[in-house]
Formats: sequence, C-alpha cells, structure tokens
Amino acid sequence: MAEEKKEKNGVQSDADIRIDYDHIDVADIMGQIKRKVAAEPEPEDPGAFHGGEVEPPGPGTEPPGSGGGRSRLKRILIKVMRPFSPLIKLLVLPVHEQLQETIQTLDRTNRRLDAVAARLGDFALDSTMHQINAEVNERVNKAFEDIGRSKEYIKLMHGLEHNLVVEITKLKIESENLKLKLRIAEKDFEFLGRREKALEEEVFK
Amino acid sequence: MKIAFVCQRYGNEISGGAELHCRWIAEHMRKYMDVEVLTTRAFDYITWKDHYPRGDEIVNGVPVKRFSVVRPRVPERFGRIQNRILENEHTEADELKWLEEEGPFSPELIEYIKEHEEDYDYFIFFSYRYYHSYWGIRTVPEKSILVPTAEHDPVIHLNIFKDLFRLPRAFVYNSYEERAMINRVSRNQDVPGDVVGVGSVIPDKIESESFRRKHPGLDDYIIYIGRIDENKGCQQLFDYYLRFKRETRSPIKLALVGSTQLQIPAHPDISYLGFLSEEDKFAALKGAQVLSIPSFYESLSMVTLEAWALEKPVLANSRCEVLKGQCLRSNAGLFYENYPEFREGLRLLLASAPLRAAMGNNGRRYFQENYTWEVIEKKYLAILDDLEKES
Repeated sequence: MAEEKKEKNGVQSDADIRIDYDHIDVADIMGQIKRKVAAEPEPEDPGAFHGGEVEPPGPGTEPPGSGGGRSRLKRILIKVMRPFSPLIKLLVLPVHEQLQETIQTLDRTNRRLDAVAARLGDFALDSTMHQINAEVNERVNKAFEDIGRSKEYIKLMHGLEHNLVVEITKLKIESENLKLKLRIAEKDFEFLGRREKALEEEVFK
Repeated sequence: MKIAFVCQRYGNEISGGAELHCRWIAEHMRKYMDVEVLTTRAFDYITWKDHYPRGDEIVNGVPVKRFSVVRPRVPERFGRIQNRILENEHTEADELKWLEEEGPFSPELIEYIKEHEEDYDYFIFFSYRYYHSYWGIRTVPEKSILVPTAEHDPVIHLNIFKDLFRLPRAFVYNSYEERAMINRVSRNQDVPGDVVGVGSVIPDKIESESFRRKHPGLDDYIIYIGRIDENKGCQQLFDYYLRFKRETRSPIKLALVGSTQLQIPAHPDISYLGFLSEEDKFAALKGAQVLSIPSFYESLSMVTLEAWALEKPVLANSRCEVLKGQCLRSNAGLFYENYPEFREGLRLLLASAPLRAAMGNNGRRYFQENYTWEVIEKKYLAILDDLEKES
C-alpha cells in the first residue's frame, strides 16, 4: 500500500497524488490518477500488452507467492515467443475476426452508399439543382432591380426635399421684405396724415 | 387525486430494478393520494408468461389490477428480430413488430387504460422500452408521466421512441445523464421533467458483529452487491481484482453478494456470500472498505446510494456515465476506465482511511440531500402540482 505524508491544511499526498481532505474533489483526483497512469512506462509483462486490459484469469490463476519452475518456464517461453507476438496476437486473438467483421461492415456500408448515390442519380439531382439555381438567380436579380429602383426614388426624394427647403427659405425672405415695406408704408401714411391735418389748420386760419 | 402506476411486472417477489422502483414509489405515494397499479400477470421477465392470478389484489396496501399476457415472448425469435433491426435498415413497422415481440404483449391492459381514462388523473408509466409504456402513453398522452429507466442501450435510438419521448406530459428521470441522453435522442427538452430517482431506507441498527461471526475470514474486503453477471461487468472485476492482487500483493479480499450467472474464479481471497437478507446485506456493506460497481450500464444504482448512506466510498466503472456523473457530483467515489486506473483508484482508497472517511461523509450528505424518501416524495408531489397548475 502506498505511503502517506501528512501536510498542512488537511492536504495529503500519496506519492504523486495530492488530496485536500477538507474539500474532496473527485475530478481533480481522477485527473491526477490519469496523469500518473499516462506517465507510467509500458509494462514488461506481456500479459498486460493491450493497454491496461487484463488477461482472463480463469480458475487456474496461481495464488500469490506460488512461483517456482513453472513460472520460470513460462517466462522463458514468453521471451522466446516475444518476436512472434504480433503475429500470434493477430491470429489467436479475436483481432483477426474483428478485422474481418470491420471490413465486412465497411463493405456493406460502401454498398449502401453506392445504392443511395445511384438513387440520388435517378432523381436527376443535377437538373433539379440547375433549376433551383436558375430560380434563385432570377429572384435575386429581381430583388436587385427593386433595390436599384428604390435607390433612384430615394435620390429624387432627396432633390425634391432640397428644392422645397430652398423655396421655403426664399419665401421666408420675401415675406420678411414685404413686412418691412408694410411697416415703412404705415409710417409714411401716418406722416402724411399728420401733414394733412397741419395743412388743413393753416388753410382754415 | 387518483394515480395509476403502469408497470410490466409487479409483486413482492420481483426484485428487478424498474419493477421494484415502481413498487416503492407506489407504496410511498399512497400516503398522499389514491394509488392503483395496472400491470400484467407476468413474473418471468424473459417470457412474460402468466403467473399471478387474474384480477385484483392488494400488495402491501396498494390495489393491483393484473391483465393477461396474450402471447409470451419466444427469446430466440425476439433475439433474431432485435438483431435484424439493430444491424439493418428497417421500417417503423419492423420496430413495432420488435416492440410486440418484446412484450409483455397485453392489449387488454391498453384497452383498460383507454376505457377508464376518466377514472384516473394521471398514469405513471415505468420503463419506456416495453409494450405497455409505448401504447399506454399513446392512448393517454395528456395524462401520462414517464419514468423511462433508460440505459445506454442501442434500442433507445429506434425511431418509435424518438416520437414517444415527446408525448408524455412530464418525465421523472433517474439521473442527469439519463435526461441528457433522452434529450439528445429525441430533442424533447420542452417536455417538463425532473431528476428524481428512488429513495432508500437504511436500517437504524446494523448488526455488523453477527455478520462477522458468520464470516470469520472476512476482515478487510471490498464488496460487490448485485447480479453476478458478465453484463454487469463482473468478469472484468474478477480480472482486475486478481491482477491487482498479483501486482500489489495486497491482502484485500473481494466479497460477492447476489445471485450468480457467471463462474466465480477459485481464489482464496474471493468469497461468494450468495443471496443475503436485507439485514445481512447492509451488515456486509457496512463492514466493507469500498463498494465496487463494475457495471457498464446503470440507470440508477440503488446499491451505490445505499453504500453512500452508510458512508462507504465506491469505485465505479467510468464507462457507465450515470455512475461517473454521480461520483463527480457527490465527490464520494472514484472511477476507472482501464486496469491501471482501477489499480490506482483502489490503491488510493485502501491506503488512505481519511480519504475513505471524507468520501463517505460526502456520500452520506449526497444521499440525504437527494435520495431520502422525504425528498423523493416531495419531488413527485411537485411534478404533479405543476401539472395540475398547468391544467
């Protein structure tokens, strides 16, 4: 069993794994375990050759501590057979069958894809797409024409607005001039009225 | 309010996951409302042959109506049909044929639901993949609540279920992972639902001493509780455990509890305890250092929750997303993807009593916050309340 070292703040470490006992974080612990496992060298034991998967133990599994000549012989045999292990794995393990099954599955899938492609061909996909493209192009062109017309209309509206502003300004100035002339005429009329009265007085004296 | 629980099998003798789940929920909810169970006469989940007498009975205070299975399942034929639809292109009619073969084929049950729709406020269906749920929900979609108990099973991708998952008024999921999977398969995010699961009752007093007397050789041990079956990952557990023993020379023993369908390796440190009573099961769990859960597929592992209730950490197979998710959420268990991770996880748990204690505390807290019966009952009542308000 792994040794433990007590550290401050309830944090302990088991060799490479640090654990905060006050706030257990399983995700963090599992991350540390995964990193530790990934850093391990490849196992020498050929019984563990497929990436952590274990060989079937069966009832014949030797209990711990029972070494001896049998296991020595087993080790020698394993050493002799090691160069052939990839071939043995390929032939003895279900890898070969799985490979065959996978190829068959891929073959079936390819056939289905071919059939689907043929069916799509029957539907005259190209001409349908061409027709759809033509319709879409027509609609887009029409939309562009509409947009062009709208732009012209907006320009004209701007011109009209500008002219109206100019005309209104002129009218405003004209109206101011007329008001001024009216005030002068009123004053002249008043002066002439007063002069008329003065002349009448002189005449009737 | 009157609720019908609709389940494929029902009875005290049935210890299967979804069926036991249904029974416990029905028995707990009868405190709050009128409850009735609609089920078949089947006992055997392989053939669904009629076993229970026809008609009404009371099981632990809950009225149960049983309906006949018209045609028992023929496993060979069902296997052939299932392989064909899983491996080949097929139509919806093929899927419906598969569903009929899977059973339990009891049109009488569906007919009853149709005729008595007005007698019940809601129908709670258990297990999405059986005949009763598919046709039952289609018969009364506006009154149906589905407890899918779904696992990572290829049949969940069948087209008939994509539509089915959009029909019920509400869902009661067992785990967040299950909800995510069903959402992914059917895009039914708009159907309301909550993650509830099932509660567990832990005995106040656990007789560890008498258990130790019965099994004097068992001192330091990890435990597996459940069906000892290759589908539950037990073969992999044996392989990993034996390799761990060889490599680390650890004295730790492995105790196995449950019925077995697999040859258990002959090793002096592997103890098969058989099928235990509830008292002995809890005593065995209490005495263990770690609970090992090697299962690849679980909708909700009740024994994991029980281990956490007893403050025991777990070592789970990370290929089971539900278990992995629960370990991460609770911070009460480690998980492994391959042997080196199993070795490191187990070594860490066995080496550190403070780690086991801290994880045990986390597990206990997680259990109390999410899986006591009080919490579960409240969640069911809240779902029904929401549906009532919506109506």
